[in-house]
Amino acid sequence: MKPSFSKILAGAAAGLIALTASAADTVKVGVLHSLSGTMAISETSLKDVLLFTFDEINKKGGVMGKMIEPVVVDPASNWPLFAEKAEELLVKDKVAVVFGCWTSVSRKSCLPVFEKENGLLFYPVQYEGEELSKNIFYTAEAVNQQAIPPVDYMLSEGKKKFYLLGSDYVYPRTTNKILKKYLKSKGIPDSDIEEIYTPFGHTDYQTIVASIKKFAAGGNACIISTLNGDTNVPFFKEFANAGLTSENCPVVSFSISEDEFRGLPAKQLAGHLGCWTYFMSIKTPENEMFVHDFLSWVQAPKVSGIDYTVSGVDPKGRVTCSPMNLSRMGVYLWKQAVEKAGTFDVDKVRDALIGQKFKGPVCEVTMQENHHLINDVFIGETLPTGQFKVIKTFKGVAGEPFSEKFLK
Amino acid sequence: MKYSLLILLGCLTLLLPVRGAENQAFYRDILVKAINEEDSAKQIALVKELVAAGDELVERGLAAWRVSELFVNSEANGLKVPFVLDTQLDSDGKAKAIRLTDGKFITDAAGKPLLFRANELTAVDNNSRIRRAIKTTLDLFAIGNPVPKLRRDAVIKLGQEQNPEYLPHFQNRLKTETDPEVIKALNEAVALTQTVDADAAVRNPAIIKLGQMRSINAHDFLVQLETKVKADRAKYGEETLQVLQKTIVQIENYQRWGTLFGTAFRGVSLAAVLLVAALGLAITFGLMGVINMAHGEVMAVGAYTTFFVQGVFGSGLLFSLFGKTVTVKGMGLTGGGFDCYFIVSLVASFVMAGLVGLALERGIIRFLYKRPLESLLATWGVSLILQQIFRHTFGSANVQVDAPGFLQGSLVVDDVLFAYNRIFIIGFAGFVVLLTWLLLTKTSLGLQIRAVMQNRTMASCVGVRTDRVNMMTFAFGSGLAGMAGACMTQIANVGPSLGQNYIIDCFMVVVLGGVGNLVGTVSASAGVGITNQVLEPWLGAVLGKITVLTAIILFLQWRPNGLFVTRSRSLD
Repeated sequence: MKPSFSKILAGAAAGLIALTASAADTVKVGVLHSLSGTMAISETSLKDVLLFTFDEINKKGGVMGKMIEPVVVDPASNWPLFAEKAEELLVKDKVAVVFGCWTSVSRKSCLPVFEKENGLLFYPVQYEGEELSKNIFYTAEAVNQQAIPPVDYMLSEGKKKFYLLGSDYVYPRTTNKILKKYLKSKGIPDSDIEEIYTPFGHTDYQTIVASIKKFAAGGNACIISTLNGDTNVPFFKEFANAGLTSENCPVVSFSISEDEFRGLPAKQLAGHLGCWTYFMSIKTPENEMFVHDFLSWVQAPKVSGIDYTVSGVDPKGRVTCSPMNLSRMGVYLWKQAVEKAGTFDVDKVRDALIGQKFKGPVCEVTMQENHHLINDVFIGETLPTGQFKVIKTFKGVAGEPFSEKFLK
Repeated sequence: MKYSLLILLGCLTLLLPVRGAENQAFYRDILVKAINEEDSAKQIALVKELVAAGDELVERGLAAWRVSELFVNSEANGLKVPFVLDTQLDSDGKAKAIRLTDGKFITDAAGKPLLFRANELTAVDNNSRIRRAIKTTLDLFAIGNPVPKLRRDAVIKLGQEQNPEYLPHFQNRLKTETDPEVIKALNEAVALTQTVDADAAVRNPAIIKLGQMRSINAHDFLVQLETKVKADRAKYGEETLQVLQKTIVQIENYQRWGTLFGTAFRGVSLAAVLLVAALGLAITFGLMGVINMAHGEVMAVGAYTTFFVQGVFGSGLLFSLFGKTVTVKGMGLTGGGFDCYFIVSLVASFVMAGLVGLALERGIIRFLYKRPLESLLATWGVSLILQQIFRHTFGSANVQVDAPGFLQGSLVVDDVLFAYNRIFIIGFAGFVVLLTWLLLTKTSLGLQIRAVMQNRTMASCVGVRTDRVNMMTFAFGSGLAGMAGACMTQIANVGPSLGQNYIIDCFMVVVLGGVGNLVGTVSASAGVGITNQVLEPWLGAVLGKITVLTAIILFLQWRPNGLFVTRSRSLD
């Protein structure tokens, strides 16, 4: 027994040495996105773009000379599992930073973990605000960056009646609550605002479309839609069959980006509006490079500089979209802050992040003290090709999570 | 002065057709001027002047300007000539440029047409005010559009602007218009515009007329006017208020009828959807007693078959089979030929799903007739396997199935919408129920099916090949599910989880109706569908659904066997 025991010891010691050796020139970074379950269809793209970004950074020498080593976990669209996986990343893997979450409920579920373990999370998807944690940086669009601009645009186009339609969960309900207050402050009476929710996976939009038809009979109504995922298909089918078009009743959808478009009948959505801080179609040299690099990366995905096999990347029909761009910019902001602080220590990096600027594909962003970005906002009209055509740009909109600050 | 000149010009054009060419040039010049104008207010004024142009090239130029597809070419003689790109692209994505001044292609010195790529050009600036002005001008063009439906839409839109400037245009058109729908829209537009007239003698008859026309479109405007009148009674006079209030009540009463019929239709249509989806299960579960959890996936087989057939008729499709990518070349049909795909796919999905059902029965279910709980687990496993097969073959994202032309849009009768796809499903449900009923009651196979379902052992004793009957029945039920899947492509998402979305509803309907009873399934789906649609406007979609489910639970407490009870030995 003895010799084998000592062998094990020796093996363990060797392993430990190897571990410390590798820890010297790599830094572990967590990726917390669902790769299975209902949200996988959206979140997998974010995992892909994160790995692509790590590859970009490693090729140029890494962060402070250290190669980024991704630790990818799968919380499987299961909200409590997000907390468990976050804990695993922070305690077991001791990652320097985590990029992840899509739905608000998943973020809320792992928020206490990040606060307890003093971790760092970058959150990239448009959300309802009313939250601010010292351990989370929200590169996401806040309500005043995504919901208010299109409503202003609709008001300027002479729309006077607003139909707020959403899936029944926290993001649509909170957003619509804020929008209702905002519309009232703009002099739209309660009787001209309709607020309707449907369950996830709802397929029968007959009644709702009939009521929209009635609501829009006066010709000055528009729809603000926070319908999620594929419930948009039966809705838009019914909408088109009722003879409604973007001309007589435009729909502004907050949850449809280029990536979601891949699963939707783009022809039926043409002419309706979206509002994001990035569109794939925006023509700048930086964006053309980002799109080109990403599309060629998915053909042969790898992370340079370390021994890591990338799996589960679909090379067909890929696009870039706003949450993907925000994910990528989050990585760069973190990298710059680390280099400024000269350490991976969470408290020091957090301080260094404030005021950090990054020139993204479409504009330069600045991280504010409230952990949200100053970013350009674009309103785009959807085209039959599944892309957006920018029809209005708002320069340098400062993200503000708390609605009482922008509602007077 | 400017307008009278225009009208004069217009009259001259009518009188002397020879002047047509010059008139054309006159408006084209105005367009060029508008495009080159720096001041946006002047631009808008110029665009408004183009209303009477009626020239195809001007219309094309304006439309292109509005969507940022209008460009300017500086010609050799120093003139700035606006142009649009031809719709025909060459293999490089380049197109010829059409000059707006004469409709000819822009050429180089040698007379060869120059080619441009749209995204390399800088479009003429526009802003929302100009876009709106262009739109108004184009809408006024559209009053003369040869397609009645577009004409009608344009008239409705212009009427809602309540702009007295448009009145002469409406009245002119009324003189020559022949389409009854457009005439109705024109009358409505005239009356609606007149309601804002300062003169009560014009205003009040217009309001009364809107009431007589039961104009739903006018309702909002009349309510707005009512608040205005109430605020300033002296200006508008008591008579206007009375007329208004009477008219609003009149329109609202009419709307109520519309809502009633609309709700009834929507209820019947949801019932038909449930019925179509559940009918296959009514056979496999209801008659045969197999708790078939894979029913939803068999529907998805039908839906994917439709997608496949669509690809074959249309532009082809790509899918992967056992890890290999298979390309199916499409026939590239369009229009009516393409629309036929749906009819073909209904048959194809029946056959395809029937075959899947056949395999399922032969491979698994026939061993489990005496062990219903195990059949539940086994079919559930099958459903998971089928879902993974869909994912591997067609990808995990939803696939797109286009509606054939004849199922798009809706029939409008007295302002109640009857969507064609819904009408089709109602008709289809009726047809399938009839078919099933005929099969079960009028054929010898039906007689055997009923005999086996009532008492398997006895049927076997008198010489019925129960094994074969089971197989046929299950395949038929699965085939019906496949056709249901084909129908669902017209109203819902086609993806690997299609089946999951319907399985609960299907079981609910079959159990509520009474297991083993076709009439029960029909009445249960009608009950659930109509109740749901009646409750939804009051309670909202979420609460409505909860209420229906609670009602079903309570009902089953009271009558555990469902609406119609079938007495049969095999089910006891």
